[in-house]
Amino acid sequence: MANLSPINLLGTGIRSPREPTFYRALREIVLNRDTVTAAAIWVLLTIIGELSFLQIDMFGDAATKQGDFIDDAFILLMVLAIPIFTLVITMILYVVFKFRAKGDEIEDAAPTRTHTKWVGFWLAWTTILCLVVIVHPGYTGILELRATNAEEPDLTVNVTGRRWQWIYEYEGRDVSLFTKDEMLVLPNHSLIRFNVTAEDQDVIHSFWIPAFRMKIDAVPGLTTYFDVETTETGHFNDDVNFRVQCAELCGNDHSLMFTRVEVVEPAEFEQWIADQAA
Amino acid sequence: MAVFMPIVKGLIGAAIGFAIGGGISQLITSFTKEPATEPMIVLGYVFAVIGWLMGVGMWKVWGRQWFGKSTNNDPTGGWERYLRFNIDHKVIGIQYITSLVVVFLLAGVLAILIRVELMDAGQNIFTKNTYNTTMSLHGIMMIAVAVAAVMGGFSNFVLPLIIGAEDVAFPRVNALSFWIVPPVVVLLLLSPLFGGFDTGWTAYPPLATQTPIGGLLFELAFLTFGISSILGGMNFIATIVTQRAPGMTWGRLPIFAWSVLAASVISLTATQWVAYGLLMIIFERVFNMVFFSPPGGNALLYEHVFWFYSHPAVYIMILPAFGAELEIISHFARKPLFAYRWVVRAFALIVFLSFIVWAHHLFTSGMGENLHGPFMILTELISIPTGVIFLSALGTLWRSKLRLKVPLLFALGVVFNFSIGGLTGIFLADVATDIALQDTYFVVAHFHYTIMGGEIFAIFAAGYYWFPKITGRMYNETLGRIHFGLMFLFYNITFLAMFVPGTVGMNRRVAEYPPEFEFMNLVTSIAAFALGIAFLPWMYNMLNSWIRGPKAPDNPWDAKTLEWQTSSPPPLENFDEFPTVTGDPYGYGDESVIHAKFPNSTDAISAEGD
Amino acid sequence: MTNHVPHHVNHRFDALTINRLGLWLFLVSDASFFIALLSSRFFVVGTSTPEHVDQVLGLSLTILLLLSSLTAYRAEAAAEHGDLPNAKKMLLATIGMGIIFVFGVGYEWYEAFKHFPPSTGFGTVLFTLTGVHVTHVVTGVLTLGFVYFRIRKSKTIGDNQWAVEGAVKWWHFVDVAWVFIYPTLYLIK
Ligand code: HEA
Ligand code: HEA
Ligand code: CUA
Ligand SMILES: [Cu+2]
Repeated sequence: MANLSPINLLGTGIRSPREPTFYRALREIVLNRDTVTAAAIWVLLTIIGELSFLQIDMFGDAATKQGDFIDDAFILLMVLAIPIFTLVITMILYVVFKFRAKGDEIEDAAPTRTHTKWVGFWLAWTTILCLVVIVHPGYTGILELRATNAEEPDLTVNVTGRRWQWIYEYEGRDVSLFTKDEMLVLPNHSLIRFNVTAEDQDVIHSFWIPAFRMKIDAVPGLTTYFDVETTETGHFNDDVNFRVQCAELCGNDHSLMFTRVEVVEPAEFEQWIADQAA
Repeated sequence: MAVFMPIVKGLIGAAIGFAIGGGISQLITSFTKEPATEPMIVLGYVFAVIGWLMGVGMWKVWGRQWFGKSTNNDPTGGWERYLRFNIDHKVIGIQYITSLVVVFLLAGVLAILIRVELMDAGQNIFTKNTYNTTMSLHGIMMIAVAVAAVMGGFSNFVLPLIIGAEDVAFPRVNALSFWIVPPVVVLLLLSPLFGGFDTGWTAYPPLATQTPIGGLLFELAFLTFGISSILGGMNFIATIVTQRAPGMTWGRLPIFAWSVLAASVISLTATQWVAYGLLMIIFERVFNMVFFSPPGGNALLYEHVFWFYSHPAVYIMILPAFGAELEIISHFARKPLFAYRWVVRAFALIVFLSFIVWAHHLFTSGMGENLHGPFMILTELISIPTGVIFLSALGTLWRSKLRLKVPLLFALGVVFNFSIGGLTGIFLADVATDIALQDTYFVVAHFHYTIMGGEIFAIFAAGYYWFPKITGRMYNETLGRIHFGLMFLFYNITFLAMFVPGTVGMNRRVAEYPPEFEFMNLVTSIAAFALGIAFLPWMYNMLNSWIRGPKAPDNPWDAKTLEWQTSSPPPLENFDEFPTVTGDPYGYGDESVIHAKFPNSTDAISAEGD
Repeated sequence: MTNHVPHHVNHRFDALTINRLGLWLFLVSDASFFIALLSSRFFVVGTSTPEHVDQVLGLSLTILLLLSSLTAYRAEAAAEHGDLPNAKKMLLATIGMGIIFVFGVGYEWYEAFKHFPPSTGFGTVLFTLTGVHVTHVVTGVLTLGFVYFRIRKSKTIGDNQWAVEGAVKWWHFVDVAWVFIYPTLYLIK
């Protein structure tokens, strides 16, 4: 029955059910000084790593619901990645300090070729972890970003890229922006849909608002789109991420192909629209 | 001066070829009203390459045979044998390695220039156009190094030795695949003189169809390079299948050979796709076809075709690097390679998966949204077989008797760096986070961690490891350690610092950026300069040791694989006596496993077997 | 003058087998090029085929190539039996049909320029697919011609067996490629 014990599954590799063998194997492979010390270092490093990571405010707040999801996904992936990284560091450091040959002498180590149960264990945890991230934040993320696709947006902006500027048309509002110095003003707490394309004889651009965390390419002959639900106000002057930045190399002025963005409360936005239309 | 004759003849051949091809093209275009320059360059170039090849010795070694005449392919000689069409795989390996080191240094200097420009937010030493050209050139030259240095360079030198063969299966094809690399380099270096190309190494149309002539040169160069890579892949597969020493069963094949086989499968098939992608761009430029521009064309076509190659291509780079890394770890840990069979299975799975994940570069491209899910899943699945490689490395190291020599230091560097590179790959494979991170410096940092931290570190590991075999001399251990220490430290500072601006909203391929990101860029730049300096001890060490280092013993590492059982450097025929393989190559600490026997060796065991 | 032709210590595989393997690998590689080629058709013009495509010509070209594959096969069989005259005859027939094919494509291009020049969607696809393929045909014709002159000169099949076999395999490959291009280009509705 010993074979079925969870500890045995972790690695003895010995099929015999006889107790003495089992305990010896357990001691040699899991409960020995090297493994336990390394595991302790790993746990310690992981705790330090996670705590210090969670201290840092990586990127400030996203200004949209979608952006918040993306930030959370990033943080979750980071939290999951840290233990893997610390595992690698621990192993390397431990091995380098503990399992060194003395001086220049050449001596062979005990020839362990493989250990089916360790391999099985390794495959199991990597597969499980992989499936976890596929489901969340992978699939949930895809669903989240598309959740509003069937809804009627509060505001639709048609965006056209051309070298090297963006052209915006507020659908149904009779407002269009044509020059680089204009400000793309957007309402807060609204579902906004951007329909993005590029002029026919132009090249590919990419419509990216860093503060919204969203981007989509502007491809000649193709209309792409994405939805965002704004959650915060903001202005380019306070936060550079409130800008539309071209994110696909499009030639000389690629880096300058940006528009300043301002997100304002809906009432203010309506006022702005009225001013523009006038 | 006589030693340069083949090169001179090659250049003359190229000039004649260009005249012929260009002439034909002019003749044809004189009947049409189309602009004639680009067709002339294309056709002239094709003929020039043929002329070049014939001149450097392909005619003498190979061509004459087609016409029933006798050929002269004597591969011996002093160092002039490196300057002509030579069919000895060891010569070709050295030709590859030395030329690619030059390309690497040039591309590295370009990287330094990039970092000078990016030290502050404004415009410094470049105009926007020259910046783009510099950045693109840096990218493509480094990619060429990454694809060809392990495959063309180290595999060529080591593979036949490590499987106990006399040469590769097709020695003349092998020489051909090397000699079409110099035209690639020439074209790339010429392109800035012809207006450069501001498309990045990915060359997305329609931009790529509108660049000046420099862009066309770039496309021809990449295409030619692809041909070299295809021929190399074909040769390595045939070599591993047919040239193994007697007794070298698949289960006894050193892991490096397995990794080269895996990478060769990719370069044999996938490379054709990028060739077609570039051909479409050239057709669109030369014949005004409409693959990519509306109406009719579709710009996404190129992105799919390009990444169908360029994603698998990253595994052409990393798989042989993993092979070399594991090989080195096992020999310096004095312990059999852990979970050998699982590593082989992992290689196979990586090759398979690598063909069906390409669209993870297209999550923001506007391709059909129903493709996002499948490509995300498949991409993330690759982490499972890649994890097995980590298992093998760490499992081999555990309870070993490490000899902390320079090759091992670099191999450990690969494990460390690639864990960062690989894990950040997961952030990019996730659709939600990729939509934020695509085209930012996060991606730039990711691929420098995988390619430079993984593969280039592995190339340095391989370089130090096989240096005694290749040159017959020992390198200086202390200088090697200094090189490793500096490189590891400053490499990590340079590229860790790059993740930060990437995460907070700085996009790649820009010469100017918002001043908010200045500080981290300054850190990166300074670390990059220090990183450049880290290569100086290496250069000195390599040159000095090659010329006057102490003579290397045949087997300085006491390793068991076959390349160490012959003299350093190996004789023309590789082995004085050819081995019969009797066991796997990792029998450390296990007297019962003997990798190979040599017929007339004084070794007691092998004498019996005779 | 030393001739370093590796004499492959390892005798498990003779030169012929190695050459065959090499050729097959090359064909696999080239086949993946054709897959890319075919897939681009659907990207650029979807499944639409304009009316002006010359169906009769397409079909005749296909039949011609299939016939030439037959004669190529006969040439290889003859060479295997050391039957020089027949091998020469069959090679010539294959080369002849290959040349007619090239002219057929030339005629097709001449017609195509009127209805769909390269600057249109379908023209792009047509000229690229047939152009890449006809380049293969030309290399095939050149290789076969080369082999033909070699066996004519040496007056025996002798050690040209592999040359014949290789050239014929290459030719079959070029034909098979057309068998895929033909429906993709002409028949899809
Ligand atoms: C050698 C080169 C190399 C390698 C090996 C990789 C490996 C990987 N890459 Fe990378 N990549 C590049 C080179 C490379 N990449 C380049 C050059 C680009 C940019 C090109 C350009 O645009 O210019 C790029 C871009 C790129 C993108 C597109 C980014 C964008 O532009 O938006 C993506 C997205 O999915 C990606 C993902 C991955 C993944 C998932 C892996 C995986 O193979 C990594 C797998 C490894 C691990 C995960 C770590 C080890 C595993 C374990 C310890 C097991 C446990 C772990 C888990 C269960 C998660 N890469
Ligand atoms: C093998 C692959 C490889 C390698 C090794 C490197 C190495 C380096 N790379 Fe590169 N890089 C790419 C592949 C690679 N890169 C690719 C594919 C791109 C994308 C291009 C694109 O977007 O299209 C890219 C893009 C890229 C960018 C982004 C450009 C942009 O998007 O605008 C940057 C920015 O810092 C950069 C920096 C560096 C640096 C500092 C190094 C350093 O590690 C270089 C270190 C080497 C040396 C310094 C040379 C050796 C030393 C000497 C010759 C001594 C003299 C020293 C001094 C003068 C100081 N690289
Ligand atoms: Cu538009 Cu970059
Ligand atoms: Cu990829």
